[in-house]
Amino acid sequence: MHPSLRVLSSRPHQPLIKFLGKRIYPSTLSKPHPHPQAPPEVVNRFSDFVAKSQATEAPHAHPQAPAEVKSNFPAKKHGPTGTTSMSEFWLAPERLWKQDIEEAEIEAITSGGATLH
Amino acid sequence: MLSVQRIAQKSAGRRLRESSLRLASWKRGLATPADPYDVVVIGGGPGGYVAALKAAQLGLRTACVEKRGSLGGTCLNVGCIPSKAMLNNSHIYHQTQHDLKRRGIDVSGVSLNLPVMLQAKDTAVTSLTKGIEFLFKQNKVDYIKGAASFASPTKITVDLLEGGKSEVEAKNFIIATGSEVAPFPGGAIEIDEKQIVSSTGALDLQEVPKKLVVIGGGIIGLEMGSVWSRLGSEVTVVEFLGAIGGFGIDDEVSKNFQRFLTKQGLKFKLNTKVISADKRDGKLYVKTESAKGGKEEELEADVLLVAVGRRPYVNGLNVEAAGVELDNKGRIIIDDQFNTTAKNIKCIGDVTFGPMLAHKAEEEGIAAIEYIKTGHGHVNYHAIPSVVYTHPEVAWVGKTEQELKAAGVQYNVGKFNFSANSRAKTNFETEGFVKIIAEKETDKILGVHIIGPNAGEMISEGVLAIEYGASAEDVARTCHAHPTLSEAFKEACMAAYSKPIHQ
Repeated sequence: MHPSLRVLSSRPHQPLIKFLGKRIYPSTLSKPHPHPQAPPEVVNRFSDFVAKSQATEAPHAHPQAPAEVKSNFPAKKHGPTGTTSMSEFWLAPERLWKQDIEEAEIEAITSGGATLH
Repeated sequence: MLSVQRIAQKSAGRRLRESSLRLASWKRGLATPADPYDVVVIGGGPGGYVAALKAAQLGLRTACVEKRGSLGGTCLNVGCIPSKAMLNNSHIYHQTQHDLKRRGIDVSGVSLNLPVMLQAKDTAVTSLTKGIEFLFKQNKVDYIKGAASFASPTKITVDLLEGGKSEVEAKNFIIATGSEVAPFPGGAIEIDEKQIVSSTGALDLQEVPKKLVVIGGGIIGLEMGSVWSRLGSEVTVVEFLGAIGGFGIDDEVSKNFQRFLTKQGLKFKLNTKVISADKRDGKLYVKTESAKGGKEEELEADVLLVAVGRRPYVNGLNVEAAGVELDNKGRIIIDDQFNTTAKNIKCIGDVTFGPMLAHKAEEEGIAAIEYIKTGHGHVNYHAIPSVVYTHPEVAWVGKTEQELKAAGVQYNVGKFNFSANSRAKTNFETEGFVKIIAEKETDKILGVHIIGPNAGEMISEGVLAIEYGASAEDVARTCHAHPTLSEAFKEACMAAYSKPIHQ
C-alpha cells in the first residue's frame, strides 16, 4: 500500500561477521598469558609460573635449533671469549651433528680397518 | 688384461670409500645413539594423536607414545565411540519395538541379541583405532607402544609393551595422557567393573540388568542410563544436584530434558546423596539420603554405574623429574600457549585445565603444535560445544541465561519449537526447541541451546556463529534448506531479533 514508506522504514542489514582476510603470522612471538580456563589461584600466581618456567631453562643451549623447530633453551655464552656451549648435541648447529653412518664405515669399524686396504 | 682391469676397479672403489669415510669423519661432530625427535607426544588419545599428525604434517619429526596398545585413548576405546555405537543401536532396537507401528511398518519377533550388539560396538572401535595407525604410517609418525616416564626435561624412558626399555629424546614433548574414571568420593563404593561399574564396564555388560542405578546425572550417566533403559533395564539416576545434564546446561533445557527422559521410563532422584552400596545375595543395595540431610532410602539394583566424573591421569609419568607442576586437583599447570613449568614440555587435553572433551583436546593439540612451529596458535574456549547423545539429543555452546543474569549482561532470547518445524513433523520427532541468546545491544549471539532431533549436528552452526561473532540477524538472513531441522535454528535466530515466521 505504501511501499516507499516500507522501504524507508527498513534498515539495511550490517553483518557483524568481519572478514579478516589472508592470515599472516605476526613477526613477533605472542607473549604467554595465564590459561583462560585456569582457576583464579593459578592466574593470580602467574608470575610464579613464569619464574619456575625460566628456572627450568637449560644452562647451556643454542638460540636456534635445527629444522626450524624452536628451542625453548636460549643461548648462554661463557668465558671472556664468549664461547657458546650446549648440553644436548641437537642444540648445536646442524653442521656439527652426527651424520648417518655409511655401510662402508661400519664395515671398516667391524673389520678393524681391514676393508680399507 | 681382465685381471689388471679388476685390480684397477678395486683400487678405485677403495679410494672412493676412503675419501667418503674421511668426509664423514670430518662432518661428524658429537656422537649419540639416535637423533632426537622434533616432537614426542605422550598419549595417543584424540588430543595426542591429532597433535602427532599435525606435527608430522608441518614437517616435524614426530613420535607418539601410547601404552594402551591401541590408539584413540578413552574416547575411541572406552568412551565416546563405543557409547555412540550402543546409543545408536539401542535406539534402533527401541524404535523398532515401540515406534514403527505408527509409521506403517509392522514387525514381529523383534528380540535383542546383546552379544552381536556388543560385537558391533567393538567392530566400530577396532576399525577407527586401526584407522589412526594407518594415518600414522601415512604421515610418518613413529608409533611407540609403551609407558613413558620422564628421565629429564628432554628425555623419556619407555617401558615397551613388547618387553624391554627404550630411551627417547625430543626437543619438544607434549603431554596428552588424558583422564581416568574418578572413584566414588570417600571410597565407600569400589568399582569392580562387573556389578559396580564405571562407564567402561557399563559399555560391556554381558546381560541386561533388571535394575540399574546410576550415580551421577551428567552426560555419561544419562547416556549409559538411556542405553540400558532402551534395552529393558529399570533405570534410576541419583544426582546430588537439583538438575540433570551436568555443568554448562541451560536450566530450561535441563528441566525439559528430565521431562523427556522421565517419559521414556528413567527415574530421577535429584538433590540426593549416595552413602554406600552393599552386596547381598547377588544384589546391590544402594543407600541414599537427601543432599540437605535427613530422609534415607535404599535402592535395589543388579548393577550400579558410578558416573561421578573423571580425573587427570599422570600415573607413572614421573613429571617431577621434568619439573612439571600440578595444581591441587592433579591437573598439569599450563599457560595459554600450553607450556608447562618445564619449558620444552607442553600439555593438552583432559590432563590440564578446561572441559574434559575430546574435541577440546583436538583443538589444543593442533594449537600446541602451531605454537612450536610458528609461535602462534588459537583455541577459543567460548566456542567449545557440549553434546548429550540421548534421544532427543541435547547440545549447547556459549553462555547460559543463568550465567548472563549473574554477569548482569542484557540479552534477548529467541526460541523455536521443533513442533513447528516441518521436517520434525514429517519425522514424528517434535520434542524440544532451539534457543538463541543474543546480546541486547549488538544482537551478537552469546549462547545456543538445543534439545531435539539432530541437536548434536546442528550445534555446529551455533559454534560457527559464535566463533565468527555473528549476530542472530546474520544467521536469520542466511538461507537454510527446506525442509530441514536446521530451519528451526534460523527461526530461533529470527525470534531473537524480530519474529519467527512459522510460530
